[in-house]
Amino acid sequence: MATLAYDVPKRELTIAEAQRYAASADRRTRIFNRCCMGVLIAFALLWLVPLAWAVDTALKPNGETTNPTWAIDNPTLASFRTLLAEGDIVNWYAASFITSAVVAVGTVFTASLAAYALSRLRFRFRWLAFWFILIGIMIPSQVLIVPRFRELGSVNLLNTYWAVILPQIPIAIAVFVFKQFFDGIPKDLDEAARIDGAGFFRTYRQIVLPLARPAVSAVAIFSFVWTWNDLLWPLLALSNPKIMTIPVGLATVQGTYGIRYADTMASAILGALPLVLVFLLFQRRIVEGIAGTGLKG
Amino acid sequence: MNNALTRRDLLRATLLGTAALTAAGCSSVGAGLLDTGPDPNTLAYWNLFGGGDGVRMTQMEDGYRKANPNIDLQAVTLAWGNPYYTKLALATVGDRPPEVAVSHLTRMKTLAAGNLLQELHPEDLERHGMSAEKFNQRAWEAGLVDGKIYAIPIDTHPFVLFYNTKICEEAGLLDSAGKLKPIKGQDGFIDALTKAKQVTGQYGATHGINSDTATPWRLFQTLYAQLGGEVLADEGTRVVLDDAKARQVLDYLRLLTVEKGLMPGSIDYQGAIALFASGASGFHLNGEWEISTFQTAKMPFSMTLVPNVFGGDYAVQADSHTLVLPVRPDQDRARLDLSLGFVRSMLDQSLTWAEGGHVPAWQPFAKSARYKKLTPQSNYAAAADSAVYDPPGWYSGSGSNFENVMGGAVGAVESGGMSSDAAIAQIRSKLSHLANTAPPV
Amino acid sequence: MTSVVAARRETRPSGHGRPALLFLAPFLVLYLLFIVGPAIYGLVMSFFDTSMVSTGLGEFAGLSNYAEALSSSDFWAALWHTLWFTILTTPPLIVLALVFALLAERASKARWFFRLAFFLPYILPSAVVALIWIWMYTPALGLLSRTMTALGFSEPNWLGDPDLAMVSLALTTVWWTLGFNFVLYLAGLQEIPRDLYEASAIDGAGPWQQIRRITLPLLSRTTSLVVVLQVIASMKVFDQMYIMTQGGPNFATRSLLQYVFDVGFTDFRTGYAAAASTLFFLVVLAVSTAWLVMTRRQEPEL
Repeated sequence: MATLAYDVPKRELTIAEAQRYAASADRRTRIFNRCCMGVLIAFALLWLVPLAWAVDTALKPNGETTNPTWAIDNPTLASFRTLLAEGDIVNWYAASFITSAVVAVGTVFTASLAAYALSRLRFRFRWLAFWFILIGIMIPSQVLIVPRFRELGSVNLLNTYWAVILPQIPIAIAVFVFKQFFDGIPKDLDEAARIDGAGFFRTYRQIVLPLARPAVSAVAIFSFVWTWNDLLWPLLALSNPKIMTIPVGLATVQGTYGIRYADTMASAILGALPLVLVFLLFQRRIVEGIAGTGLKG
Repeated sequence: MNNALTRRDLLRATLLGTAALTAAGCSSVGAGLLDTGPDPNTLAYWNLFGGGDGVRMTQMEDGYRKANPNIDLQAVTLAWGNPYYTKLALATVGDRPPEVAVSHLTRMKTLAAGNLLQELHPEDLERHGMSAEKFNQRAWEAGLVDGKIYAIPIDTHPFVLFYNTKICEEAGLLDSAGKLKPIKGQDGFIDALTKAKQVTGQYGATHGINSDTATPWRLFQTLYAQLGGEVLADEGTRVVLDDAKARQVLDYLRLLTVEKGLMPGSIDYQGAIALFASGASGFHLNGEWEISTFQTAKMPFSMTLVPNVFGGDYAVQADSHTLVLPVRPDQDRARLDLSLGFVRSMLDQSLTWAEGGHVPAWQPFAKSARYKKLTPQSNYAAAADSAVYDPPGWYSGSGSNFENVMGGAVGAVESGGMSSDAAIAQIRSKLSHLANTAPPV
Repeated sequence: MTSVVAARRETRPSGHGRPALLFLAPFLVLYLLFIVGPAIYGLVMSFFDTSMVSTGLGEFAGLSNYAEALSSSDFWAALWHTLWFTILTTPPLIVLALVFALLAERASKARWFFRLAFFLPYILPSAVVALIWIWMYTPALGLLSRTMTALGFSEPNWLGDPDLAMVSLALTTVWWTLGFNFVLYLAGLQEIPRDLYEASAIDGAGPWQQIRRITLPLLSRTTSLVVVLQVIASMKVFDQMYIMTQGGPNFATRSLLQYVFDVGFTDFRTGYAAAASTLFFLVVLAVSTAWLVMTRRQEPEL
């Protein structure tokens, strides 16, 4: 519904005048809206340019990329074929998928449990626990690398998926996202369940968690994406190319394509593809998830 | 509605997951779940060779596998630079190192100082037919630490001059045999580049500068050593930079890039290669390892020694690839022989390696007629005997912060962003800081 | 006993200690093992000359690592570069996201398209973003260089000019992460009731006034969240520098975490690197505390 007239004159209007104002205002609003649309569309298209350019380059033969224009003279999938033939990229997909999925499940599970305690349960050190977990958001991961390396090395878990999975599960932000959401769920529901004899865990599982679906989606998806995209720790912890995750694999071969820009772009596209598919499939969930968090008051 | 969607989402996710798992097959997943430790018949070998070098190394690894069918060779290629040495160090300290690893000679010393490498005894080497005189003397001596052997050099890879034969011919720079006429002296070099630029219409020569600290350092070191200059002394604890000589080199480089425009002052590593490959430049200064790139690009080129621009004793920057045996808890005679056997096999395949442009350190091959016939690779074999390595120091070596400091400053001068004096001052201050810091090894 | 508990229930929180522990346990165990534990170990390391290539903690160094960091021009330069990067990226990432969200809100049908266009880059791994933008910034061959020359300007030295390199990295980062803020704002805008706008329009408010008087104040909670997350994320920047410029040209883009990486992993001096990161952590802590104080004032119940 369009907004009503602006610049309303401060005196009584005849019906004709009022109608004229309404008509012109409608028109101005429409023009304004259309301008906004135009600007936004321009920016959105601009935003798509880098990815489009990458795809454009990847579809060319390597030789053609040294004098690049948007036109593709000899479109070819050769670059993609080269990369897939090199074999390791499929292993990288598997590694990334497994580690990210396990972390997503683990994070949702551990963070929601912890948040339930912080939100619903009363215990003496509640605020201490809250601040203790809050500190975790600020610790930069670089400083944790050498200690973690020594820790995981001593139990021979390095160079396995666990080395990537275990340190990624405790995500402090996830706890707060859940807590924020749980706080918004009326406590009467809990009370009702308790009166019916449900224990805390039943309440958590059957009442509170189902109502927190947006938060579950958000946390699951973000922990999945963050694990997938993590570069530095997996780079140092994984030495076996067969279990490297995608970013590590890409970083390892980064310099080796030389001036074969089409191959380089193809590797970038292939590296991004699974996440893009995940995004396209779960788009609405992702957005709902973000929308439902951090804003509830 | 929410419930149903979520279950469908979960279903989709599980389907994707299963697809991924089956696609990958069981072996990599199994490797991902457990770390089963080293196997007596397994040889783990780490290297940092990608691109053309990587292809050749893979060939050599296959050669080893064919000759040793009962040994499971697991070769791992990791990215060149910091992560490689970090991972090697971490793995060794964590008691899970590879049996054999590649290391630049200049970094090997730091690893040895950190007690990460096994000492190699002459009698063990003799058993596999390796002895000091069978290697290039300069590389061998440079690799000794207090007279002890920690590494076996397989090559020397110097900084060389690539030239486009067609452009140089048009510029009148080739002799009757079609080889580049020797270029001598500062003016000689400027002259050659100017003639090449006239033909190409763009540049006389290119080399990497942006996001590349190694190449400007290598060029600087070559010219600076030709003047007889040194940068560090006493294992890196003293900065002995000769300001006058450094200024001379920096001013000359700036002359070439900023003032005469003979070389682009802001181009990245790949861009410099691309310009040369496409004929926009007559010369290219880089390590010899890029020979494969230009062969693949099918352009008319050849290679030779970097000219002796400043007169004096000939010197050129180089490093060597060596094979080292990291310290491991389960070391015994059998494992030692396994590793040394692999090392010997790599040396025996020096021909393949030399085709990648490297100057072989293994003399039985280096002195052979086969190598001499290999052109343009044998054109610059003399560089191995005039090689100037990065000065020893815990913070120095291939891909180290020393190179970052030096290369960054030289690059800034070449791009016109910094004066020679400012660059020298910056180098001095940063290196002094490093020199005064206690070494972590 | 039940009656005692019931009587107490009105006066102070009690009794849920054990179940709370069980609920918190899975998270806390992993958190202690992999975040707090290593952080404390790192803190201890900072007081020693720990080296990557040897086991154990090395020689005791007291506060000398901290003294060295505080007196090191490289450390301060890196900190300044980080702050400069934060200054370059935070305003565009907030203002542009808000503007786009405001514009997108007027479109009901095509909103999915804008969401896709702006949010898609956010899910890409840093390695992919870096590869694509390195290619776009390539001198002479890159799309951006060619566009500039086609428009008649001289080609800027995107990644090679010390003054321009950080701006180029900032541009890449804005492209990469704007989508997240955009979606947050879009969601926040949808929470604002329509009636407020209609009521204000009847009173004669134009669109600009509506934005200033209604939208922005009601978005303040979203904005404060976005701002603090953005600032912390910008301060922790590492991947872009590491992959695209390696801290160059001539260290002009070396962020603090990249400095930590250089001294810890290239120079092998992990004890010193731990000291530098602890100092960095204190800076981030200061920033976050400032935010928490600010939002506490807005919302006492936090």
